[in-house]
Amino acid sequence: MIDPYYLQQLAIGLSQGVIYALMAIGFTLIFGVLNVVNFAHGEVYTLGAFVGLLFITAFAPPFLVVLFVVLAAGAAMGVGLERIAFKPFRRFSDEASLKSRAMRESTLMSSLAVSIVAREGLEFAFGSQMQTLPFDYLINKPIELGPVTIVTGDVIIFAVAAIMLGGLQYMLTRTRAGLAIRAVSANPLGAKYVGIDTDRTIITTFALGSMMGAGAGILVGLYYGAIFPAMGFVPGIKAFVAMVMGGLSSIPGAVVCALLLGLSEGLATTFISSNWADMVAYGFLIVTLIFFPQGLFGAGRERV
Amino acid sequence: MTLTRHPLTRRTLVGLALAAPLATALAGTALAADPIRIGYQLPLTGNTAQYGQDFKTAAEIALARFNASGRLPVKVEIVFEDSRSDAKEGVTIARKFVDDPAIVGVLGDFTSGVSMASAQVYKEAGMPQLSQSASHPDYAKISEWQFRNITTQAGEGPYNAAWMLKKGIRKVALVGEQTDWGQTSVKYFADAFEAGGGKVVLTEYFNRGLPDFRALLTKIQRAKPDAVYTAFFYEDAANFIKQMKQLGINIPIYSTSAAHNQKVIELAGADAEGLSLTTNFMPSSPKPEVKDFVAEWVKVRGAEPGQFPAQAFDAVNIMLDAIVKSYPNVTRAKVRDALAATKDFPGVTGTTTFGPDREPVKQLMKVRIVNGVFTPIGE
Repeated sequence: MIDPYYLQQLAIGLSQGVIYALMAIGFTLIFGVLNVVNFAHGEVYTLGAFVGLLFITAFAPPFLVVLFVVLAAGAAMGVGLERIAFKPFRRFSDEASLKSRAMRESTLMSSLAVSIVAREGLEFAFGSQMQTLPFDYLINKPIELGPVTIVTGDVIIFAVAAIMLGGLQYMLTRTRAGLAIRAVSANPLGAKYVGIDTDRTIITTFALGSMMGAGAGILVGLYYGAIFPAMGFVPGIKAFVAMVMGGLSSIPGAVVCALLLGLSEGLATTFISSNWADMVAYGFLIVTLIFFPQGLFGAGRERV
Repeated sequence: MTLTRHPLTRRTLVGLALAAPLATALAGTALAADPIRIGYQLPLTGNTAQYGQDFKTAAEIALARFNASGRLPVKVEIVFEDSRSDAKEGVTIARKFVDDPAIVGVLGDFTSGVSMASAQVYKEAGMPQLSQSASHPDYAKISEWQFRNITTQAGEGPYNAAWMLKKGIRKVALVGEQTDWGQTSVKYFADAFEAGGGKVVLTEYFNRGLPDFRALLTKIQRAKPDAVYTAFFYEDAANFIKQMKQLGINIPIYSTSAAHNQKVIELAGADAEGLSLTTNFMPSSPKPEVKDFVAEWVKVRGAEPGQFPAQAFDAVNIMLDAIVKSYPNVTRAKVRDALAATKDFPGVTGTTTFGPDREPVKQLMKVRIVNGVFTPIGE
């Protein structure tokens, strides 16, 4: 019989991991699969939470309505973000520009700029403190499972993450839109030559990925009851680490690594001190980069 | 040749346009008496902006009231500079303040770390510095120019230790944020608690802003303490308390004045019930100066102030009082001496007297959250 203490710690670690996975799915779709450097995903997450918060305080709608409004807002944000920070770098369609790494990677700066403006704007408008939330909306009612306590949010977040992962895998591998995304990510120029509307594909991917980011934001915000302008930073880093560990371009890989991260952080608190738990994530990142530059699951896969 | 026919070239025009407002500005200051200035370095943006914004509002209330009172024939101004709680920024601001001859005293910064970094500049230049919240024990020891208007953890820790020991608590788990402040708070408490016969069963530090305390909380539960003593600020406090109740752990929580903020109750709701802490400011106090300040604050912000704005309000008033005492011919050295001579200053956080070590002597109060209100208790 395992000590119930460890069961509880495993449950907590797993629930952390699912939260990281929720963030990592949308992040990996844009960054890894579409192969576009996007550092504004954390702010999409934060903005999603704020949209949800405003909607809740203004109309007090049922939970599912909040979620769908936030998803819609997230899709809109994705399109806007793409328009502001990414489209300008695709304005030249000659071959040299399309092949240029510099053109592609300059979005690192433009998306970072958008993220800083968004975060500071939120701080300016709302202040940097945590916002007060109506307690009825929080998804943290305890559920006892024998010696282990989880909360309602764990179940909801797990379900949403599973739906996202399954849906995305289906879409990417079985539908024409998914095929287009994979084609654009593999070779944007080639995709253009065979007649794929690359602009539209990129915008769709942004809408999809940002929708998931915003959804993750409101869910995690309601899970912890903590919505504030800097909330996207830490999950953004964790999602990034999970993505790199999973081999950059694999969504299932990122999810598995997110779970692994959560579990090891949970256990780290038991064996070392909690202020070193963050080091685990960064330690994993370094180890992956040195010993598994292709990710933990090896190279030679297709981007999905 | 066209140039000679038109003596008003574009360059002269631009020059004139630039000089005109400058000239009027110079004439303006020459006519009125030069205002006396105070520098205030505080975080107005970044992760700790909420504290800095509170200080700013408190300072504006205090200053408006002072200038309206006519205690001095000249106006006093406060120059606010945003340090973003960054030590490098703080030092840059300190140099700027030191270079402005009109500034006779400085308030801030928010964190001990930034206050102490800036203090080195003020020490070299001879500028009185009064922080409303730097509670690291070493801050006031830096030089004769550093003052503070907050009791240090060297006072609060043993006070809380005695309180908990008296309540029959023998085994305690310590949790603190991973900062200078958090570590010294835990250390001062632990020393006094163990000297008084108590036992520390677990000491844990966390990185400020940690969203998930559950792994840590489960570890605390396993150590089976009688109570948890915590050194954190209100946002971490709210998360900690909520997650503790979620996991069904019922261990009494004691904390420092840093967690005394209405926001704890707002963020944690019914879960905050029973949180015990010490403070030196009660917004519900019947004292007239407290009532006035709370009324003004509610007018601007719509909610009651916590301890930190009150500290800032008193700090500004103490500084203004020192300026009045050194008027006319206010110099930095005279303001310093006047600050050092502060005795029984009636503030909203109780009366303040600076000891020879430039530390304030203040009264602490014990409070507990009962029915959603910080309630003074006599234990």
